[in-house]
Amino acid sequence: MNSKTKKIALAAWIALLGVLLASSLAVGTGAQKHESIKETMRDAVLHESNQISLFGLKEVNPALISAMAVTLAVLLFAAVVRIAVIPRFKMVPGRFQLLLEQLVGFFNGLAKSNSPHRNGFLGAYIFGAGVYIFIGTLFELFGVQAVTTEGHSIALPAPLSDINGAIALGCLSYLIILSGGIAGNGFRGIGSTLKDFSLPISMSFRLFGALLSGLLVTELVYYYIHLSFVLPVAVGVMFTLLHALIQTYVLTMLTALFYGEVSEPHENTRKKADA
Amino acid sequence: MNVPLNIDWQQILLHLFNFVILAGGLYFLLYKPVRDFMDKRTAYYQSLDADTQKKLEEARKLEEAYQSRMADAEKEIREQKARVLREAEAKAEAVLEEAGKQKEQLMSDAVVAARREKERIVEDARVEIAELAVAAAAKILQDNALKAAAGANDKEARHG
Repeated sequence: MNSKTKKIALAAWIALLGVLLASSLAVGTGAQKHESIKETMRDAVLHESNQISLFGLKEVNPALISAMAVTLAVLLFAAVVRIAVIPRFKMVPGRFQLLLEQLVGFFNGLAKSNSPHRNGFLGAYIFGAGVYIFIGTLFELFGVQAVTTEGHSIALPAPLSDINGAIALGCLSYLIILSGGIAGNGFRGIGSTLKDFSLPISMSFRLFGALLSGLLVTELVYYYIHLSFVLPVAVGVMFTLLHALIQTYVLTMLTALFYGEVSEPHENTRKKADA
Repeated sequence: MNVPLNIDWQQILLHLFNFVILAGGLYFLLYKPVRDFMDKRTAYYQSLDADTQKKLEEARKLEEAYQSRMADAEKEIREQKARVLREAEAKAEAVLEEAGKQKEQLMSDAVVAARREKERIVEDARVEIAELAVAAAAKILQDNALKAAAGANDKEARHG
């Protein structure tokens, strides 16, 4: 492609953008929203409305549906990989094999480095949690649509932007840490874990706060049609990617760190074990 | 009871249920098989490494044994060389001694032969000289006889 053709293509692209922007602005402002920005933001936090029916059994927050969708998608992908890819693993890995090995190796290494004494179960747990947080956070980028019980269409949010999801993962991580303490040091382990009683709250609300802030900013940006151009590239994609990476690393690292701390054998336990 | 932030315990349990399924599934479908493969590969390379180390150790021991044998062989070679040198020197000395004896024998023989030759030559010369002296005396006598005869002839002619 010579420079003249490039210039023509660039001009055509800019013209197309201009036309689309103008037409969007002209058409978009006439549309009626079913809730104000205040209600949208409040609902993102409290989920008082916009609930979704769970197989007709119960009305649940959209994030639970997101969580189930993520679980389904990830497990399907994992099953395909298990059946089609893993049996064909080679001693010298290809790109995809390398990616999988890096992923597993990262969490396995994180578990081993933070908890050298006891890390088999921890590695498996932080791998699951890491994949869930990362994929779950990226899930909101796809804008999968669902219909609320009130008949409105909404984009499914990240599973952990729901306080219930964040509490579930935060408390489960704490229970895992507690189990590590019991397995490593018995009653002494329980004591040292309970000492950090604020951990489940801090873990849960760290996740919730981080992901909710992303959701709120995204909601805010997408609420106004005027902000829906260019800005979402930075706000939506970049923030979401950063959130996904940072929150995955923070929760898994904290879990591994505390697990290693409480499961580390004390002097008495070591002496008993040596004897 | 109104829980702040609309926290719903049932939904928390549903989230937990969902996550446990995901974590368990991921463990059996991805984490364990990939880690097993990695462990197997690590074990394979470790065994290769151990084999290599073992072979290196064996090679090092073999090298040491060879070096020791080489040192022994060199020592033996040096000893043999010294022994051969000593023998050669002894032989050379014997040869030289023999040659010396032969030389002395030859010299003494030559001296004796030369003395005999000299005596023979002197004897021959003495005989020759005697013969020459006899011949010279005979010649002189002959000349004197001829002169005397000529003188007598002259006398006869003058008297004649």
